[in-house]
Amino acid sequence: MYNFTPRPSQQDILRYTGGRLGIAAVPGAGKTHILSALAAQIIHSGVLQDDQEVLIVTLVNSAVDNFEARIKRFFDNPIHALYKYRVRTLHGLAHDIVREKPASVGLENRFSIIDEREAAFIRRESVNAWLANHALDEYLDPSLDQSKMDWVKRDQLPNLLDSLALAFIRSSKDRLITPVSLRAKLDSSPTPLPLAELGYSIYADYQRALAYRGAVDFDDLIRLALTLLENDEEYLARLQYRYPFILEDEAQDSSLTQERILSLLSGGRVGRGDSRDRIEITTTGSNVASGLDTLATNARYSTSEVGGNWVRVGDPNQAIFETFTTASPELLRAFIQNNPSIDMPESGRSQPSILALANHLIDWVMTSHPISEARTALSVPHIVPVPEDDPQQNPPDDPEGIKFISKRYTPDEELEAVVKSVKGYVDSIWDFPDDDKPTIAILVPRNQRGVDVVNALRQKGIEPIELISSTSETRAAAGSLSHLLGYLADPSSARKLSKAYEVWRRDWREQRVENRGLENREVENSGVENRGEESREVESSGLEKGDLSTTQLLNYSSVLLRKVVDVENFVAPQNADDWRSAVGENEAEQVIQELSAFRVVIQRWLSAVTLPIDQLVLTLAQDVFTEAHDLALAHKLALVLRSAADDHADWRLPELTAELAVIAKNERKFIGFSDNDSGFDPERHRGRVVVTTMHKAKGLEWDRVYLMSVNNYDFPSAMPNDRFISEKWFVRSGLDLSAEALAQLTALGVGSPPSGTSRYAPPTNGGATRPPSNEYDFYEEGAATLRSRLDYVKERLRLFYVGITRAKRDLIVTWNSGRQGDATPSLAMSELMGWWESEGSNQ
Amino acid sequence: MLDLNLNQRQIIESPLDSKLFVSGPAGTGKTTAGVERMRHLLAQGVPGESILMLTPQRTLQEPYLDLLYSPERRAGGEVTPATVGGLARRMCDLFWPLAGEAAGFANPSEPPVFLTLETAQYYMAHLVRPLLDEGYFESVTIDRNRLYSQIIDNLNKAAVIGFNHTEIGSKLDLSYFGDPAQRRVYADAQDCANRFRQYCLAHNLLDFSLQLEIFANVLWKQDIVREYLTKNYRHLIYDNVEEDGPRAHDLLRAWTADFQSALLIYDEGAGFRYFLGADVQTGWALRELCDEYIQLQESFVMSESVAQLSERLVDAIVPNLESKVESQGSNDNSLSIIQSHFYPELLDAVVNEINSLISNSLISPSKIVILAPYLSDALRFSITHRLEAKNIPWRSHRPSRSLKDEPASHALITLAALAHPHWNIHPPKFDVAYALMQSIDGLDLVRAQLLTDIVYRHRDLQLSTFDQIKPDVQERITFSVGNRYSTLRNWIEEYRTSSILPLDHFLRKLFGEVLSQAGFGYHRNFDSVRVAASLVESVKKFRLALDLTGLQDLLGLGREYIQMLHDGVIAASYLEGWQNEDKDAVLVAPAHTFLMMNRPVTIQFWLDPGSSGWYERLSQPLTHPYVLSREWGEGRQWSDADDVQYSKEAMARLVSGLLHRCRERVYLGLSELGESGFEGRGELLRAFQKVL
Repeated sequence: MYNFTPRPSQQDILRYTGGRLGIAAVPGAGKTHILSALAAQIIHSGVLQDDQEVLIVTLVNSAVDNFEARIKRFFDNPIHALYKYRVRTLHGLAHDIVREKPASVGLENRFSIIDEREAAFIRRESVNAWLANHALDEYLDPSLDQSKMDWVKRDQLPNLLDSLALAFIRSSKDRLITPVSLRAKLDSSPTPLPLAELGYSIYADYQRALAYRGAVDFDDLIRLALTLLENDEEYLARLQYRYPFILEDEAQDSSLTQERILSLLSGGRVGRGDSRDRIEITTTGSNVASGLDTLATNARYSTSEVGGNWVRVGDPNQAIFETFTTASPELLRAFIQNNPSIDMPESGRSQPSILALANHLIDWVMTSHPISEARTALSVPHIVPVPEDDPQQNPPDDPEGIKFISKRYTPDEELEAVVKSVKGYVDSIWDFPDDDKPTIAILVPRNQRGVDVVNALRQKGIEPIELISSTSETRAAAGSLSHLLGYLADPSSARKLSKAYEVWRRDWREQRVENRGLENREVENSGVENRGEESREVESSGLEKGDLSTTQLLNYSSVLLRKVVDVENFVAPQNADDWRSAVGENEAEQVIQELSAFRVVIQRWLSAVTLPIDQLVLTLAQDVFTEAHDLALAHKLALVLRSAADDHADWRLPELTAELAVIAKNERKFIGFSDNDSGFDPERHRGRVVVTTMHKAKGLEWDRVYLMSVNNYDFPSAMPNDRFISEKWFVRSGLDLSAEALAQLTALGVGSPPSGTSRYAPPTNGGATRPPSNEYDFYEEGAATLRSRLDYVKERLRLFYVGITRAKRDLIVTWNSGRQGDATPSLAMSELMGWWESEGSNQ
Repeated sequence: MLDLNLNQRQIIESPLDSKLFVSGPAGTGKTTAGVERMRHLLAQGVPGESILMLTPQRTLQEPYLDLLYSPERRAGGEVTPATVGGLARRMCDLFWPLAGEAAGFANPSEPPVFLTLETAQYYMAHLVRPLLDEGYFESVTIDRNRLYSQIIDNLNKAAVIGFNHTEIGSKLDLSYFGDPAQRRVYADAQDCANRFRQYCLAHNLLDFSLQLEIFANVLWKQDIVREYLTKNYRHLIYDNVEEDGPRAHDLLRAWTADFQSALLIYDEGAGFRYFLGADVQTGWALRELCDEYIQLQESFVMSESVAQLSERLVDAIVPNLESKVESQGSNDNSLSIIQSHFYPELLDAVVNEINSLISNSLISPSKIVILAPYLSDALRFSITHRLEAKNIPWRSHRPSRSLKDEPASHALITLAALAHPHWNIHPPKFDVAYALMQSIDGLDLVRAQLLTDIVYRHRDLQLSTFDQIKPDVQERITFSVGNRYSTLRNWIEEYRTSSILPLDHFLRKLFGEVLSQAGFGYHRNFDSVRVAASLVESVKKFRLALDLTGLQDLLGLGREYIQMLHDGVIAASYLEGWQNEDKDAVLVAPAHTFLMMNRPVTIQFWLDPGSSGWYERLSQPLTHPYVLSREWGEGRQWSDADDVQYSKEAMARLVSGLLHRCRERVYLGLSELGESGFEGRGELLRAFQKVL
């Protein structure tokens, strides 16, 4: 049995016996841990019937595995927990719900789900189709001259419309509006709403394209699941029985629709203080920190209550969004306010000075932010260090670990300064034992800035780790296959032939990598050409006499293959032995044997090229993979490519290879194999430098963290000089067209979204039912743009908070003057910097 | 002689004027008795042609056909193996003048055109496509071909169950309680069914539903037809009565009395074709027509422990209060579990186990099946590939590639497109290179691409000559390939200038004059020849169906066929002659397919027990097997409780049906992550959980 010592707030949570419970947790509070413990405790108590499960809902696949692993640790015999709990992402849950009764929502039994990349592809086609027949002139800045106007239409408008369409479609789906119902609303609208018309047109086209493929997107899954639950009471009752307890993690990221699904499943309504809710938190004074057994026997669960047992854990302060989302942290806040709640303020992650800094940010935002509407961006609880007996102690206090660099850098100077600092630091720790090396990260607001940082680091001889969420195994397997297909698509290329050879001998190659120790497999296998230096050494020094090591043989053969002039003479010579002249007559016997073995394989592959893509991939995989997980991935990739080929009848090997390369580079969200996809683990990269965005850093922690570009462009505060990314210079009156389009959607009276009319949420009352007509129902041009600014300002405050709380020991914050040279430090940075210098560091 | 029990002997040797109804669970020797009865009838001098052997589906006839085609059978009149549908078609053909007029066809004096599923789908596509643009079916998300096939399916159900096709929409609508936004699709589906029927009547087209309706409603009521049938068929053997629809049962109800002898065989645990309209109740009711009813109980197939496993599993799925099953642990060897983390590992383990069963336990491959609820092409390929690597013979209900995906037919279609520039199909270079590689003996992919890059112009389909290529490149490609290319190219060029042939004639000509000659790809490759022959056959059927209506422009026919092939309308086309595969082989098939083969085995491997495919009823947005059935009360709503109940019963039926066809052992293939990397946790697995 796993020994778990709950912290004080966790003890409170473990006294949960039923009903609704809202938990506000701080960064590093151990949310996953406590929910796993709670799930295990419920299972232990024996309250579950045969067909009942504790449902745990979380955000991403990697979290699913995390939960699975943790819950199992609470059981001596994992069989006892088998089928007693189910961990799902919200999309996974929605899929489960819909898959049981697809026909009821107009789906074919084996409907397919397109991923975000394919959805983006289809949406882009719809946008282009719209642009081919329409103009958006009434919204463009009339003062633009003709050539600039043409350039904008050609280069800028497609992207702008694409993000508008994304926001419009997602938001419509979150409000359960279909194109048909939207059309009806538009037809009866008294005023013309051109942006809503535009949105409708693209939405309708997009849905038609999906229907044609018999497919739905992720948002449809959520929408259809809710539709099903709302229309089928018996089915709902059955599911309510099946899931008597619902534990929800990362609840700040749920949208209203998602919240409604869980609310219905847990048998109640959202966000209202309900008399049936009960939680008895009795502080009996007895020492309950002795493990779960006592608790399990003491806890008396009730599964018969209709009110529903729903525990929501999240941190509203960490609600940050990279792209448009319909989620809103206000929903969780309202839930916590209206239901029994417990705070989880203890965190052992950061040293006290960093905690003080983060807490001050909360205080300043709540009380003193110059824009009073922005003061709800952050909320208490403050973060407190863990008690002294806690196994995970906060690092010792070190005010020196915090540095705000007030100096006004240009963007290039900022890069230079940070890289210099990183280099100095990395050099200073080079002789630490590997396990003692600290973890290091550079966090930036946007992807492009990350690319700059990576390049600057490389110039200084530092090979960074680019944070990617899927495992190297996925990418390595996909990368290998993409090299093979790449050769088959271009079989006369000697270079690709040689690459295919290296893939075939990938085991030898990996040994070499291990021997070298420093080689970064992730980069190497992700499709980046990265020929080892040894190849060149062998090439220049010629072949030594005597037996070759496998590494030497691999490199030598690979070089020989690269030099083949007419590849056909190697793979399909006219006479049986002619191929030897293609590679060189006088090679050692060992080399000849190696190459002839490879020829047999390559000939088989070449003859398999006319097979359907799935079968070609399986054939190749059988030859190059031995590991079970690689073979399993190959099988999955075969299915993915087959469906890509079915969807794009004109695709041949080059396009399919490109698709694989995309998977290899992880530009595509790859569902499945979550088991091996345990997420990014900073601990595996001690002593290396991780570069990523602040958004992607959520949930992670490093000993030393650099926050870059904390200026008023990336972190605006709605001050007079602030600029907003979503307000395009070529759009009339500085309108934020996405926000305006959503406001027009709302004006149609189709129900207000949880997040008002724009990207990020203004406070709502957390109403369970869709609010009836409200102030936003009258469309007034420009108002939504302003509200959207405010939401953006608030999201950026939370983003800064997230950035700060990634650091365990050292935190270095810098800013730059921006491309135009007129940016200033962000208001929050200035505030923290001033406070830190005057009093913070003395606390 | 077979080991037969008393009951079986009684059935087999009953008098030549007796009418028997035999029922019992699978594996009790019913079909064996049926086959022996047929042997007995023949041995008694009953002329073969006077025996009608009826089953609801052709695959169920396998054991009977084995007897009919066996060497011991001497020449003589042939027994007629048939399905009611097949009979309907023959009667429509034979008595067309009668049928045509009475059924309301526009041109009864013109010959009828019988539609296959594919050609029916083709016409349906033509009728429905413009309606989709008008907004029909907007609320459903469904692949177009499935949309068409579900409308056809509704028509077929109306015919099989026996209600007027104009009632489809209202029946579905009245029972509907789901999302109101979905409701209008039933009206759309009804409208499309009506249009299709009208189109058929206007153009002498007979799809399956019309054939059956004409036979049952029109022809059967004509004395001349009745007399014909009664005179020809004196003895009836009707197996798997329970898998037929009520309309077939109605027909037999009226007809049985006319036979001199009849043997009706009913499988008590079955009714697997419910989603095609099968009705166990109307089938069971036929018992009343027979003089004698014999029930077989004792299983020849299941070992004691398999029988127990079956009972316990069924009990776990549909708990039965009166059940006397003791909840004892598994102390038997009827169930083995093969476990793995990843899916391909599981396949390896399964194939290894099969290998050892064959070589160590000397179990014949034909006594082993690998079953799954669904078989993706990739899965089928993966399994059969592994079996081949171990030299284990295998067979599958169908190959892992449809005709469209077979390289040999793909190449032929590319060449056809090249030969018919007016089709305006421009194959990509890859396709042309593959076609050349496939067609020209000794041409490898590297040279094929080299050659294609030089000679083929995608824009206008131009194929330049080999002579125009630079000498050094000619040498790389080699002159022998060059000569063959020239032959093929010249043939295509010549054809382009001559008058156009129907696609199947074109393919035959291309094949005969070039590709089957020495030096070309189909000369020695018999697999390719088989594929080519199947393609020609498929094209021909398509042409005949369309040709006769006189509506189609002959020149566009080939293009149309290729379009249909690409769109998946002709998705069901597989190699002809596939069913003649080696029977002494491991069967790899979906579970339902195996059930419809009427053959017990010794060992079954069940893959994907965690899949929901064992449990979920065939979910189709435009049709519904239960609501359209005869028992469904008018206006009764289909509820979630029905959903659960019927699904569980269907799964229990499936599980019990499989186990009743299993002599010794079931292997459960359990991988933590399924084919697509997801964990499966379906109801079947839960049932096993309770049993273990």
